[in-house]
Amino acid sequence: MNAGKYKHIDDNQLLQQFYEDRNNEWLGILLQRYTLLLLGVCMKYLKNEEEAKDSVQQVFLKVITELHKYKVEYFKSWIYMVAKNHCLMKLRNKGKIPVEINERLLSAPDDTADKETMKGKDHTLNTLEAALQEINKEQQQCVILFYLEKKSYQEIAALTGYTLMQVKSHIQNGKRNLKIMLERQQHER
Amino acid sequence: MSGNLKDILSGSNKDMGNQQLMDYLSSRLSKEQQHEVEKNMAADDFVNDAVEGLQQINSTKKMQEFADDLNRELQKQIEKNKKRKNKRRWKDAPNTYIIILLLLTLMLICFFVIKKMQG
Repeated sequence: MNAGKYKHIDDNQLLQQFYEDRNNEWLGILLQRYTLLLLGVCMKYLKNEEEAKDSVQQVFLKVITELHKYKVEYFKSWIYMVAKNHCLMKLRNKGKIPVEINERLLSAPDDTADKETMKGKDHTLNTLEAALQEINKEQQQCVILFYLEKKSYQEIAALTGYTLMQVKSHIQNGKRNLKIMLERQQHER
Repeated sequence: MSGNLKDILSGSNKDMGNQQLMDYLSSRLSKEQQHEVEKNMAADDFVNDAVEGLQQINSTKKMQEFADDLNRELQKQIEKNKKRKNKRRWKDAPNTYIIILLLLTLMLICFFVIKKMQG
């Protein structure tokens, strides 16, 4: 199987091919695109190289044996959820975290409608500029440096004195808060 | 500025390749490319989690070896499933194969009978 040969075929097309002829080789090509990402996700949760490798293999197996049962629309979100749930389940079985597992494998999270309503609206951009003034100082500083001044995490850390983890977290929390503020304003309109 | 502001709301629409990810982890990207990857991370939890996890593996060489091992195992698994499927096909439809065998035998018998009659 030469993954490079199928570079021009996107995930969705590979998935459709699989649903049409149920040939697992299509899945092989698709899964190889995510090996590294899956390894990373499993490492993040399990913090053990061997366990992470083992988990990626189990995720592969799960996809090969179960994908035909579901109609997956967006493979990337679906496989992320499968891997994450697998790791959380493993941790829960070890008694490391009491988490509620979301085992709904059928529907991939779909935020496209959400994005569509937000994109391309002048009003949204004006609101966004105003909302940017309302988030806390650290988040505002990191969001501006990252999105508007296009600085890397490393540069922001050097400029602000925050650690890399803090920079990342300020950007993500800032982004989330901005979205919440915008959604609230849209509901109010 | 409004163009950049839009980035805050947009999700990730670019799929990051394995090579780009490896290059980011080994700090081999230009500032712009690095920022692109980080924008992807900020927009996509999958990429963000993956990068955080991969950063715990201390060498990119090892990472690549792990990925290669996993891809090899995946390939083996797919081959195994294919063989099992073929075997099942034979088991599920033995009548077809028996009929083919009978027809071949019949043709062979006819061939010898005709040859004997001509001789």
